[in-house]
Amino acid sequence: MSDSHHIRHLVDTVLDNLQYQHDWTQLQVLTHSPVDGSPLPRPLISGLPLRRLYLHPDDQLEMLKAHPKPEDRLPETPEIEWVLPTHLAEKWSLKSFASVFDSMPAQAPSRPERPKRILLATIHDDSTIVYYFMHDGLVKPRQN
Amino acid sequence: MTSSTSHAPLRISKLAGRYLIFDIDDVMYLRRNHNMCSVFTGTTPQNPQQNVFMGLPLELMPEEVKVLVDKHVAYVADDAAFHPARLASLDAPSRQAYLQTLKDEGRAAYQEFVDQQRRKPKPSQVKAKNKKSEPSSSTESPRKGTEDEEEASLFDSSPAPTPADPTPKPEAEPEGYAVTHTTSSLLLTQQPPHQQPITSPIPSPAIEVPASYPLYAHLQHKGYYMMPGLRFGCDYNVYPGDPLRFHSHFQATHHGWEEEITMLDIVAGGRLGTGVKKGYLLGGAVSETHTEHIDGNDTGRGVDITASHGKGGDGTIPHVRTFCIEWAGM
Repeated sequence: MSDSHHIRHLVDTVLDNLQYQHDWTQLQVLTHSPVDGSPLPRPLISGLPLRRLYLHPDDQLEMLKAHPKPEDRLPETPEIEWVLPTHLAEKWSLKSFASVFDSMPAQAPSRPERPKRILLATIHDDSTIVYYFMHDGLVKPRQN
Repeated sequence: MTSSTSHAPLRISKLAGRYLIFDIDDVMYLRRNHNMCSVFTGTTPQNPQQNVFMGLPLELMPEEVKVLVDKHVAYVADDAAFHPARLASLDAPSRQAYLQTLKDEGRAAYQEFVDQQRRKPKPSQVKAKNKKSEPSSSTESPRKGTEDEEEASLFDSSPAPTPADPTPKPEAEPEGYAVTHTTSSLLLTQQPPHQQPITSPIPSPAIEVPASYPLYAHLQHKGYYMMPGLRFGCDYNVYPGDPLRFHSHFQATHHGWEEEITMLDIVAGGRLGTGVKKGYLLGGAVSETHTEHIDGNDTGRGVDITASHGKGGDGTIPHVRTFCIEWAGM
């Protein structure tokens, strides 16, 4: 009981933060898998950021080749991101992360494969929230 | 990559619990064909205090040794046991040849020392020295040849090599230094080349690998180069190619499948990794009870390295899942 209450609280906090601090839109909370209706290991939040949050380095390279002039602005179509709310005091494991990834729904009917990255939102008691990308598998880092 | 069977199995010396390679050709072979760099641990005799530039031997991590042994690329020889056993098993001609090689090396070292002493210019006669040294060395060489034979017959009667004596003998009897070899390499090269290495059928001593072995084997199989990760607080620094050419992509930390990971470790690792342009990589072997989607891992972008380094599927690679963490920038 208190556990689900705690998780709902986490979800609400992250949802508020995304909506009001980061100006995300189309925010939704997903508690059950749309495929078979089974409950997710943890509710996931999906939403549309203002700007493109993540660009794979290979895609970035291709974009730079396609737009060689620096004054050309890179196209910034935002993508739907999935957010996993967690608390700093929690303990996760490889197994629990894997179960989150394995339970993720397909992105769209046109793209049947499930997303390979989530945004890990970690809340501290002082209401600080930090966001880290977590990729499933070996994904090389961005050239930031 | 070239077929691993085309190369004779490498000899890894196990000494005092460490796995060492003393042959520079083997080091180069591992680096070129098996994406292993490891760490040089030898000091340079001219400057033993510095530790920036190290030389042979190369010390392999136990994970690397296990991978190589499992691939039949190398075998482990317990050098402390091998050396006396090999010495005892030498037959008369090869024993004679071995002793002769030792003597020749000692004499060459002594000759080098003498030449150096002679070449050392006295301030007053730098000019005269250069002219003088050439004829003196040429007159010496024939005399040296006759003494060689004398010594060989002398030495034959004494059963064991004399202990090391670093003091130079007077020039009247240029016996040379007694050389004590630091490795058994001389004993190895005396094997007839057509013979298989005598030690390879002997089962290698059991290799104790750390718990992070599955993660190492997984990344190694994908063609990554791993270096020790102490500098970045992780188990391995993971390079997409030779570390001399590439910036490392990941700092990899191993966790058990159900081992608890504190969120602070993930945040700290992600923060550090992003700060040094790496991804923080968590990974570990999937425990047997986990039978869900095993297609989940390593589809997509990560595999371009695998494709270029494609190796025959080896059943010994454990099933591992990995997760990469980067700061999201928000």
